[in-house]
Amino acid sequence: MTNQLSLQQRIQMAFPGLAAAYSVDGLLHYRVEKSRIPELTQFLHEKARGRLALLFAVDCRPLAEKYEIQYLFAFASDHPWVLLTIELAGQDRLFTSITPSVHAAQWYEREIRDLYGLIPQGHPDLRRLVRHEHWPKGTHPLQKAFPWNKTIGRQQADYRFRHIEGEGVFEVPVGPIHAGIIEPGHFRFSVAGEPIMQLEVRHFWKHRGIEKLFEQQTLSTAIALAERVSGDTTIGHSLAYCQAAETLLHIDVPRRARYLRSLFLELERLHNHLGDVGAICNDTAYALAHAHCSRMKELLLQLNDRLTGSRFLRGAMAIGGVTKDVSAIELSEIVALLDGIEKDFAELESIIFANASLTDRLETTGVLTERTGWDHGVVGVVGRASGIDQDVRRDRPFAAYDEVPVNISLYRYGDVRARLRVRMDEIHESIRLIREIRANIPQGPVAPAAAHRPQPGQWALSAVEGWRGEILYFVMTGEQGSIHRCKVRDPSFVNWPAIQWAVVGNILPDFPLINKSFNLSYAGNDL
Amino acid sequence: MFRILKKSLKTGIVTGQHPHADQPAESPSQAVCEKAMPFRQSLTIREVDTGSCNACEMEMNALANPIYDIERFGVHIAASPRHADALVVTGPVTVNMERALKDVHKQTPDPKLVIALGDCAINCGVFKGSYAVTGPVDRHIPVDVRIPGCPPRPAEILKALEEIRRPASWK
Repeated sequence: MTNQLSLQQRIQMAFPGLAAAYSVDGLLHYRVEKSRIPELTQFLHEKARGRLALLFAVDCRPLAEKYEIQYLFAFASDHPWVLLTIELAGQDRLFTSITPSVHAAQWYEREIRDLYGLIPQGHPDLRRLVRHEHWPKGTHPLQKAFPWNKTIGRQQADYRFRHIEGEGVFEVPVGPIHAGIIEPGHFRFSVAGEPIMQLEVRHFWKHRGIEKLFEQQTLSTAIALAERVSGDTTIGHSLAYCQAAETLLHIDVPRRARYLRSLFLELERLHNHLGDVGAICNDTAYALAHAHCSRMKELLLQLNDRLTGSRFLRGAMAIGGVTKDVSAIELSEIVALLDGIEKDFAELESIIFANASLTDRLETTGVLTERTGWDHGVVGVVGRASGIDQDVRRDRPFAAYDEVPVNISLYRYGDVRARLRVRMDEIHESIRLIREIRANIPQGPVAPAAAHRPQPGQWALSAVEGWRGEILYFVMTGEQGSIHRCKVRDPSFVNWPAIQWAVVGNILPDFPLINKSFNLSYAGNDL
Repeated sequence: MFRILKKSLKTGIVTGQHPHADQPAESPSQAVCEKAMPFRQSLTIREVDTGSCNACEMEMNALANPIYDIERFGVHIAASPRHADALVVTGPVTVNMERALKDVHKQTPDPKLVIALGDCAINCGVFKGSYAVTGPVDRHIPVDVRIPGCPPRPAEILKALEEIRRPASWK
């Protein structure tokens, strides 16, 4: 643990007089004066190479008359997280924006302004993000004084897009309703001829008020909501939520349940990655690969249905463990099916890469450089394709990943092909992991008996590597087992702004392909 | 080329290899069947997501895979509402999507069917009551057919569409 000491010591050396309020395994917590936050975050980001993983606000009323803003930084795998907390007491509504030095904070700070009405001073772009222009002024739904079921009125106003002006420059608006079966979102391209000069993403059409809905739930009833944050990441979100709740309830998850959680998470990764590989090929008009991939994906969804009664593994997670045990017969059925799929998929891979015109479309398309990715704090598949070596399964092992370690595939080029390759490698790796899980799974119960009531105001953070990337949950308890605040961060939220830079210079017809290679969730982003 | 042929021959025909769904609890009314008459058993669908969790979208996409292969029944997915006979709407209608949904409905030529897909579209599901949700689909546009489930399985969607497409005289 010399590294942990060194990070703590470095902070001590740079900022004498700053005492860690809290230091448990894997987390250093500092309460700081709000005027010091810009220099501290700049130090953590630039000197200590920290990635801004999460930035969110908490309305502490009625427990205390204040708002808190929390900054979470993640470092290389053997370092702890650093959480900085500032307070805005009483009527104070202002805090200093860190976006000028930490670019990744841009959407988070706009989100805080929309949902809480707190103003990030010095933020370069204070247009609305979550609240579309027709929401009346002064509507800040996450303030505790705002009723969760209030009906929102309508006002007249327009969103100001960034314009590029000049001879031959055109704007192409796309969405919110798209041509395929996809979720709603608006893209505004500025093009000169075919090449894209600028893309502006306008999202949050699907904002359903999930974080406010969490506050109407108790710790034990909120799983159904977590499963529906983003339907394709049912296990990722419900597992991240359950882990946070278990920390608060002091529940130890039995080992067999941990293995089953890893199993479900890998099954989810498999069916989504298979779908994505097919869809990327389909967007280059290579329908054959798409047909084969969607066939294999369907086999997995039918397997999920047989295992849990839901094609998306809904209802499989429970606080403390899993709801359903998987018998030895079922485990061998899974492995037998996956053996077949692995062989099937390997054949398909060689067909895909033997196709020169396909490779031509994929290579050097939609390049996200490591530098741009790092500035945005990009995570998951998109990050690993751009050389950002980050995976929660290895960095902060959860479920059974401490006993079944994962091999990470890393590519540097950051183009569509790299993102395709990461997914293909992860398909093989997931199948290997499931074989390991089957070989090592211990006997025992899958859900413990729990009895602990958390005090109001306690909180927990948890991270899960879903198939898209790092999913973060912050859960704070309220009175009588209720939820005071639940911050949900899907990897899509940090990866969406990065896509605006990956498309620049590419031709407009390549955008669907680039978008598919990112394959981000609109639902998980909009909440 | 040889590799591709070999793969196709080895795979064979997979269409129809899925567990079969039960008959839907509610069969479409006479009025809906009459409305569907001019489409002559072929439906062109435009899918509109007004705030779902995207599981319903995945199941709609699954309908096009070789196992369900919905095109064999003459059901197509249109890229524009102006080409559509039926709108499939998923998710509770969010505050931000309300206007877009009404626009799409206006743009779809008559006669048209509106199919509410999934529990959220029917009764808002877990999102019921939220400040950001304005109510189920039928609060904004008339709904003809409801396909419940969270999400409904592709086989169930297939079955429900089959009921709509069947001529009224066959019943």
